[in-house]
Amino acid sequence: MINRNQTQQIVQICLITFCLLLLKGSLIHAESQSIDILLKGGHVIDPKNNIDGNMDIAIGEGKIVQVSKDITVKNAKRVIDVTGMIVTPGLIDMHVHAFHGTDPESYIADGWDALPPDGFTFRAGVTTIVDAGSAGWRNFRAFKKQTIDRSQTRILAFLNIAGTGMHSRFEEQDVTDMNPEMAAYMINRLFPEILVGVKSAHFWGADFTQVDQAVKAGTIAKVPVMVDLGEHHPPLPIEELFMKHLRPGDIWTHTYANAPKDREVPVDENGKVKPFIFEAQKRGIIFDVGHGGGAFHFAQAIPSIKQGFIADVISSDLHTGSMNGGMKDMTNLLSKFMAMGLSLQDVILRSTWNPAKVINRPELGNLSVGSVADVAVFSLRKGDFGFTDVRAKKMKGTQKLEAEVTLRAGRVVWDLNGTASRIWDEKP
Amino acid sequence: MIVTSFQRSYLKLAVLFLSLFIMNRIDAQQIDLLIRNGHVIDARNNIDEPMDVAISGGKILKVAKAIPSADAKKIIDATGLYVTPGFIDLHTHVFVGSNQGFADGFSCISPDDITLKAGITTVVDAGTSGWRNFPVFKKNVIDRSTTRVLAFLNIAGSGMTGFPSEEDMNDMDARMTSMVVQQYPEFIVGVKLGHFRGSEWTPFDRTIEAAEIADVPIIIECHIPKYPLDEILKRLRPGDIYTHTYCTAVDRECILDENGKLKNSVIEARKKGVRFDVGHGGGMFHFDVAAPALKQGLVPDSFGSDLHRSSINSGMKNMLETMSKFLNLGMSLQDVIFRATWNPATSIKRADLGNFSVGAEADIAIINLRKGTFGFIDTKNNKMTGDRRLEAEMTIRAGKVVFDMNGLAARSWTAK
Repeated sequence: MINRNQTQQIVQICLITFCLLLLKGSLIHAESQSIDILLKGGHVIDPKNNIDGNMDIAIGEGKIVQVSKDITVKNAKRVIDVTGMIVTPGLIDMHVHAFHGTDPESYIADGWDALPPDGFTFRAGVTTIVDAGSAGWRNFRAFKKQTIDRSQTRILAFLNIAGTGMHSRFEEQDVTDMNPEMAAYMINRLFPEILVGVKSAHFWGADFTQVDQAVKAGTIAKVPVMVDLGEHHPPLPIEELFMKHLRPGDIWTHTYANAPKDREVPVDENGKVKPFIFEAQKRGIIFDVGHGGGAFHFAQAIPSIKQGFIADVISSDLHTGSMNGGMKDMTNLLSKFMAMGLSLQDVILRSTWNPAKVINRPELGNLSVGSVADVAVFSLRKGDFGFTDVRAKKMKGTQKLEAEVTLRAGRVVWDLNGTASRIWDEKP
Repeated sequence: MIVTSFQRSYLKLAVLFLSLFIMNRIDAQQIDLLIRNGHVIDARNNIDEPMDVAISGGKILKVAKAIPSADAKKIIDATGLYVTPGFIDLHTHVFVGSNQGFADGFSCISPDDITLKAGITTVVDAGTSGWRNFPVFKKNVIDRSTTRVLAFLNIAGSGMTGFPSEEDMNDMDARMTSMVVQQYPEFIVGVKLGHFRGSEWTPFDRTIEAAEIADVPIIIECHIPKYPLDEILKRLRPGDIYTHTYCTAVDRECILDENGKLKNSVIEARKKGVRFDVGHGGGMFHFDVAAPALKQGLVPDSFGSDLHRSSINSGMKNMLETMSKFLNLGMSLQDVIFRATWNPATSIKRADLGNFSVGAEADIAIINLRKGTFGFIDTKNNKMTGDRRLEAEMTIRAGKVVFDMNGLAARSWTAK
C-alpha cells in the first residue's frame, strides 16, 4: 500500500523529472534548430513586442525563431547583413483592389481597374494585402481562383455587401442584392481564413441602408465593417454614422479625402477638426487612409495631424487609378506621413500591428517567435523629396523609405541592392 | 515685265507682312509644357547638352536653348536631370488576363504597372499572342493602356498558351500570320519564334516566310534546345533580332565558348546586321556572360526586359534597372540612352519613336542619375556593385505627365 505522503512524493518527483526533461528538450531544441536565414545588425521595429533597437532576427522553416541581440552566426545557413537598415514585420496594406480580370462590363470586380498585387507589394515591403470589397459573395470564388490562389502576396479580403462586389457603380446600388446572411455564411463557413470583414461602398441612396446591411452581416459573422461612404447627394451626416450605425472596431476609409459635395469631411472650412471626430475615435471607430487616386488631400491631412487626429491605419487603395499618381506605393505613402510629422516608429505601427488588430489577425504584423517570417528591411534615404496628393499638390520631405529586402514566409522575394546575394566574380 | 520701284516696295512690304504673319503663327502656337534646363540626350538628332523642350498638342514643338517661357502654360524645371525620349522596352509579355500561362494569362503583367515609373513609354510584346488571339490582346490590353503597346506576333496561332499545341507545326501559318501583321501595321512590328523542342526547321522557316511577306523583322527566343546556335545565327537575316543574349540557359547554347570567348558565329552575325536584345527576364541574364561579352564588344542593341510576372521581383525589376547594370558594366550614359530609345526604334522600323524630332509624339523620360553605392543582381542571384543608378523623375506620354516621382509638376499644397 502506498500512503498519501508517498503518493505526493511520487507525483512531485514525476513533476520535477518532467520539468527537467522539458527544459533539456527545449535547450537541445534551441541549439539544434538550424537557422535558415539570420538577419544581422538591423534596427528592429516591432511595435507589438515593444522592440525598437538593434536586434538580430533568426528565421527557420519559414518562421521567426528568435529575436535578440547578437545571435551567433554559427548555426546560420545564410547570414544577411542588414547593418544600418530598418527591419520590421512585413507591411499590411489594408485597402487594395486586387480582383484583376478582363470582364469588359466591369471596372473593379474581375476588371481592369484592379491589379494583380505582386508587382506592387514586395518592392514596397508589403507582404499582406487586404482587398477592400472588390468581390461580393456571388463572385468571390472567381477572385480566389484567379488572383488569391496564384499570388505570392498574402491576400485577405473584405467581402462586399453587394452580391457582385464592385462590378459597376450601377449594380452596387441594388439593395435587394445586399444579403447579410449570405455574406456572413461565406465569411464564416466557406473562407474564414481569407475573409476578414464586410465592405460597404459607393452607395447613392439617401440613407444608411447599405451600411446597416453590412453591419448586420458583420454582426452575424463577428467581423468588422469598412465603410467608404461614397456618393450620397446631399452627403449623409458622418457623426450619425459613427455614433449610431457603426460599432466600435468598424472602419471608416478615405479619411483625408476632400470632396465635401460627395461626403462630409472631418476638417471644417476653418481648418478645425470637427469635435465629434475625436469622440468617434474614442468610441473605437477605426480610421483608414485609403489614399487612392482621389481620396487623399493635404488640405484635410495636414490640419488633422497637427490637431492630433491621426488615421489608425495607413493604406494605399491600390488600383490602376492610384498606382502612378500621388500614391505610388506603401513606402512612398509612409514617407509622406513622415514628412507630415509622424515618426518612423509610428508609421510602422500604423502599417503592421494596427491593421493586424483591426482585422483580428494577431498572428500578423509582428515578429513574435513562431509567427510566419514575413519581414521587411528598409533603408532610410536622405535627400530632397517631394510628395504629392491626388490634386498634384506637393509637400517637401527630407527622408524616404526604400524597400531593400522583403521576405515572405522566410523566403527572399525582393532584393533591391543584392543585400542577400554574392558578388558574381568572387569565389565562394 | 517691268517692275516699278513702287511695286517693288509694295512686294517687299507684302513679303514682310507675310513673314511676320508666319512668325506670329509659330510664336502663337501655344506651348502646353516647357521642360527647361535639362540635359537632353536625343541620339537620333545628335543632341547631348542642356536644352529646353517645348511640347504642344501632345507633340514635340521645339528643342532649343533658352526657349522663351512667356507663352508656356506649364513649365517644368529639369535642372540637374536628363531629358530623353521615352524608353522602348523591346521584349515584354503584357497580354495579361485570367487564364493560366501567358496568352490572356496571369503570367503576364499589365504594362502600366511597371513602365511609367521607369521612364518607359513604349513596350513591344514578344509574341504572347498569335494571329488567332491578337484581337483579344488588342481589346483587353493595348487599347486600355497608357503605355504604347506594340507587338511581335507569334508564329504559333494562339501565341504562348503554355499548352503543347503551342508547338503544333500545323498551326504555324505563315500566310495567316502575315495577314494579321499587315492588318494591324500600327501595332504589329514583327514575327516571333519562341518555344519549340523539335529539331525540324519548319517553325523557323514559317516565321521567316511570314516576316518576308509582311516585310518585318523576326525575334527569336532561346527556348529551342535542338537548334544549334551557329545555325540560328546563320539563318537570321540582317535586322532580325536575337534575344536572351547574355544567358547560360539550358535550352540554348551560350554565346561564349568554354574559354569565355565570343563565338565566331556571334561576331559574324553582328557584322551581318543581326540585332542582339538583352531579354533579361527572371532567368536569362548572367553577369558571367554579360561582362566578358561586353568586354569583347558585344554591346546590346536593346535592353528588352522580358517583363512578366516572375521577372518583376527578380534581379530584373524593370528595364531602367537593366540599363543601370550596363552603365555600371562600363557603357557610357549616352550609349545606354541610345540603345533604349533610337536604336530599338530602328530595330522595329518605327522611326517615329525614340526621338525628339519636331512633330514626334511627346513621349519623354526625365531621369535622375543617382550616385551612391548600389548592388545589382542577375538571375542567378549574383551581385555586381556599382556607383550609379538611373531613376525616373517624370514620365510624359503624348504630352501628358503620367508619372511624377517628386512632384516636379506639382504646386505647393499651401499655394493659393
